[in-house]
Amino acid sequence: MSETFDLSLFWEYRLVLWRGLEVNALVFVLSLVLGLVLGLVACLVRLAPWKGLARAGGAYVELCRATPEYVALIWFHNVAPFLVGWATGIRINFNPIVSATLALGIVASGYFAESFRAGIQAVPRGHVEAARALGMGSMLTFVRIVLPQAFRTMTPELMSQSIGLLKTSTLVSVIAVPDIMYQVQMVSQQEMKAMPLYTGAAISFFVLIFVLTSLVERAGLGTRREA
Amino acid sequence: MDALLRVVDLQKSFGDTPVLKGISFDLPKGTVLSIIGASGSGKSTLLRCVNLLEIPSAGEIHFRGAPVEFRKSHDGSLRLPAAAAANTLRRRIGMVFQQFNLWPHMTVEGNVMEAPRRVAGLTKAEARDKARAYLDKVGLLLFAGRYPARLSGGQQQRVAIARALAMEPDILLFDEATSSLDPELTGEVLKVMRTLAAEGTTMIVVTHEMAFARDVSDRILFLHDGAIEEDGPPARVFAQPQSERCRRFLTEFVR
Repeated sequence: MSETFDLSLFWEYRLVLWRGLEVNALVFVLSLVLGLVLGLVACLVRLAPWKGLARAGGAYVELCRATPEYVALIWFHNVAPFLVGWATGIRINFNPIVSATLALGIVASGYFAESFRAGIQAVPRGHVEAARALGMGSMLTFVRIVLPQAFRTMTPELMSQSIGLLKTSTLVSVIAVPDIMYQVQMVSQQEMKAMPLYTGAAISFFVLIFVLTSLVERAGLGTRREA
Repeated sequence: MDALLRVVDLQKSFGDTPVLKGISFDLPKGTVLSIIGASGSGKSTLLRCVNLLEIPSAGEIHFRGAPVEFRKSHDGSLRLPAAAAANTLRRRIGMVFQQFNLWPHMTVEGNVMEAPRRVAGLTKAEARDKARAYLDKVGLLLFAGRYPARLSGGQQQRVAIARALAMEPDILLFDEATSSLDPELTGEVLKVMRTLAAEGTTMIVVTHEMAFARDVSDRILFLHDGAIEEDGPPARVFAQPQSERCRRFLTEFVR
């Protein structure tokens, strides 16, 4: 029992594990950026005035949201390269980090798209009309008036979704991305002592996410800001 | 002299419901036109057609002698002119809304600077000078750095007027600018509007403030059910309206 919480082994391998955590951070940041960009695009497509396009955007969002991350990871790593190869005639493999970024980023984009949409639709119509009445074009109005307000409304939700994405990034060992869980598995196979390492990984993630959540709260991003 | 704005047989329907049934009027430079009438008579829709926030179903709008070039759908209904033309018209015609519609994520000064900077292409310093000059004009220079949420309704509306003025438009439209204000706050807004009128600003005012319409306007339109029912200078419209409906409307309002 005491072995479960004996973290000396965890400490001994801290460098390897730290490198694993860096990989988690890398996958997290890449898929976050991809998710936000694709999410905004999907949201705009979904709000497009052309019905067919709007429907395609809606279908994309639903597909993303209905796909478990675990399944997406395996699909993007094993099936997507095959499809790309079939379409282009060039045999390729995805680097696991690329597969992981695509899988997590695309799934997350479905959720981000919905947050963007809610944020954009919450902007009062009168604010848009005021801008248009001053001669501001639709693009300028969107960038200067709608988007900043939408961001404010959606920040808390965006923050919790991002932290969710960080948690999800621990799944990537399933396609052999050398993240912290992957390293933990490797080390525990060598040392034949799994429990302290798993406990250590759990504790480090708890600390990481707790600290991040507190920072978000401290910065006032966890609740809607005044005006 | 040519009218600054000429509206000819303007019609507007929402679906099958006609809201404007052929409105025509001229607006000479430097005059104030007040549009009065019951709720649902089409006043606001008419105003919104003038700066293309609504697209008329039929009719013509001439601004400074040139017709607004509406495009036509294949079914013959009108569509917005090309974006550039619509934006050019709108920057020459300012609008003040019933709900103020200040942008909450910008300071008071930021609200007023935005269009001069991004639409008229002034530098930040020029736009700030202009914003401050117009905020001073509406008596709110001290509030330049505040956010709109911290202002009273009357103050917000005065900022909205400064925001419209900062583009130095040829015509100012007021869409029931005092209707959502508490009675004690309407005075400060009406005072600004009176000053503007006295300075020769060309204005179209949709209003329920009959005293204001009577004192300030050069001409009154009384709308009923999407058509002009009474049209004339305030002295005549208020003293001896031709239309029975207008007379009843006025006796209800002016006590």
